[in-house]
Amino acid sequence: MTKQNSPLRRHPIALMLTAGLLASFSAAAAWASVATTEPPLKPITINLQDKAALRNGALYTLHMCTACHSLQGTRYSSLPAMLGMSEARFKEIIGTNGHHYHDVITSSMPSSVIDAFVKMLPPDLTYIARRHSPAWLYTYLTSFYVDPSRPNGVNNVVFNNVAMPDVFAPLQGLQKPVMIEGLRYGSPARVAIGVEPLTKGSMTPAQFDRTARDIVTFLYAVAHSHEQERARLGPWIIGLFVLLSVLTYLIYRLYWRGVITSEERWWKVGK
Amino acid sequence: MNSKIRSWARGVFGWFDERLPISSMWRSQVSRYPAPKNFNLWYIFGSLALLVLVMQLATGLFLAIHYQPNPHLAYWSVLRGIQQDSHWGWLIRDMHIVGASAFFVLVYLHMYRGIMYGSYKKPRELLWLVGIFIYLALAAEAFLGYLLPWGQMSYWGSAVVTNFVTAVPVIGKPIATWLRGSFVVDLPTLNRFFVFHVFLMPLLLLALVLVHLIALHHVGSNNPDGVEIHDNLNETGWPRDAVPFHPYYTVKDLFAVSIFFVVFFWFVFYNPSGWGFLLDKLNYTPANILHTPADIHPLWFFLPFYAMLRGVPDKLYGIMAFAGSFVLLACLPILDRNPVRSIRYRSVLYKVNILSMAFSFLWLGLIAHGLATEHNMVYGLHVTEVFYMTFLALPFFNRERPIRTRIIWLVAAEALVWLVDVWMYSIHAHSWGLMLQTDWIPALYALLLFGLAILFPALTHDAAKLPERLTAGGILH
Repeated sequence: MTKQNSPLRRHPIALMLTAGLLASFSAAAAWASVATTEPPLKPITINLQDKAALRNGALYTLHMCTACHSLQGTRYSSLPAMLGMSEARFKEIIGTNGHHYHDVITSSMPSSVIDAFVKMLPPDLTYIARRHSPAWLYTYLTSFYVDPSRPNGVNNVVFNNVAMPDVFAPLQGLQKPVMIEGLRYGSPARVAIGVEPLTKGSMTPAQFDRTARDIVTFLYAVAHSHEQERARLGPWIIGLFVLLSVLTYLIYRLYWRGVITSEERWWKVGK
Repeated sequence: MNSKIRSWARGVFGWFDERLPISSMWRSQVSRYPAPKNFNLWYIFGSLALLVLVMQLATGLFLAIHYQPNPHLAYWSVLRGIQQDSHWGWLIRDMHIVGASAFFVLVYLHMYRGIMYGSYKKPRELLWLVGIFIYLALAAEAFLGYLLPWGQMSYWGSAVVTNFVTAVPVIGKPIATWLRGSFVVDLPTLNRFFVFHVFLMPLLLLALVLVHLIALHHVGSNNPDGVEIHDNLNETGWPRDAVPFHPYYTVKDLFAVSIFFVVFFWFVFYNPSGWGFLLDKLNYTPANILHTPADIHPLWFFLPFYAMLRGVPDKLYGIMAFAGSFVLLACLPILDRNPVRSIRYRSVLYKVNILSMAFSFLWLGLIAHGLATEHNMVYGLHVTEVFYMTFLALPFFNRERPIRTRIIWLVAAEALVWLVDVWMYSIHAHSWGLMLQTDWIPALYALLLFGLAILFPALTHDAAKLPERLTAGGILH
């Protein structure tokens, strides 16, 4: 379509009128919302090539997290390749929690225990890691704080009234919240936006930070297990179609060379 | 030897050709099928939509093989069975997801092309109507398929939609129960949705697409100028303004397909959830019958209809409002009876109106993307009024109107806007302040459209001295 043929070029006034109309509409469109003060997320970069981080993350995830949580999106047998270790080494160092090697990673908690104490199934970590960003996961893991009003005595900065206990307290130590006057669903409330250390844990802050990052890296890798395959295949497939586009464009030009197209207007329209 | 093989092959083909109209069909429908020379970019979306349909059928076949239509198994059969345990499952699933959205992008563009160039006018009214039915079947197909992964949005979206019929007085609730096969969305619902999604709707879609193509090849394609190519034949009976579909449009479509696949596979490989638009993040959470999400959203392609639905403060009227938009689309050949087909030769205000039709539709989607606050509901109601008005104003442009008629249209449109709002206010008392905050939008649209028509009559003039063959057979002339 040439410039002369475009209806908008031929009648710029139509475009101007429409744009003017819509601009005036949207300018007045006030967006009321049910605002909640969002605490800042701690930034994190994920490196899926970092095998040491993945292994450390796998160790903590399979030894701590799967005590309650399941990781049903994956099987033990798919982990060694991802962690860059042999099957024997994986079984020796990390292990399968007594499950069969090809089993799905399920929670180690018997359902009778869930019924007796928890009354609520801890969510599966595969979809938690898919649903939330790495930054959210990292902030969540490091931002438990003491809150005597909660049944477990702790709360979380990015997950208000969380049901999960602070399983990291022995490693990280307890933390106290940094509270500000903010909004919760539109009404004023005291909102935690960060944490400060309260007691010492068995790990130094740097060690614990490393551990939390490794867990997030591992969870992200498990939940996005085809990320590397995508990155490897993508350029080839897309490249193929870019190449095909060029070739088919040349063929198209070749065939259409002799055809009088609309740009030349073989009928005349009087004004 | 070579010629022997050739004559043998010709013999085999001849055997089939005598018994099946292969070569005659190829000639009449492809290699000697006249297609207008002047197709532009807007004319590739039909064939691309056909391509996506085939792709959805092919990928869907493999997904159906690994899928378990049972609430206990469905979620993990998708997230582990398909995504992890089966070879290339992740790729096929992402192609199916991106394909569904691509289908809607292409179909929306294809429909808007038809609106711009008057492709619904005589003799293509039925072609247009079949197209509307294809859109409805596609919408049903997408809705049914969305339940299958058994995520939170799947579940609650289906719960909301199957509850629509409860708005019908007296018999609504029994019908909803009958549709679900259960009092809530559950195993029977999942089973039947699966069967409808993989069997009934694809069959219906294919049949409708076939009818659409037969109708198209019977009446011939429209084009950006609205030329009736069969009115201008050369000595051999070939339309002067046409080229054979093959090879001219097959090579052009191949180019379009290549470009399309570049974009398509970029999404498949690098952005399969499409910033949360192609696949809602909440759908990664398995369905939980005890936990209703705070905000239940349809996918992006239904958002404008969702804005209409929640804008009207009554369930039954809301459903009528969004169903009415399909009725309006189907009624386009009746509403727009101006003989000039193409937007190129229509008046300035008509162009404004057609552009506003698209913009208000997108705008409704944007509003529905926001939270379900009272403000957004009322806001959606008023933009729905703009969308409706872009259709209801079409008869105004059927011919040049005397000044008195233009004033009557302005008064009637304004009266309609305010009457509808008073009516809506009487159904559910949103505060008047909230109503007035956005009420001026349809009021201003009517005022500008018809006010400009009154002040500057030239803005309503179609192109003068248009040849007969650029019109739809002179319905009014």
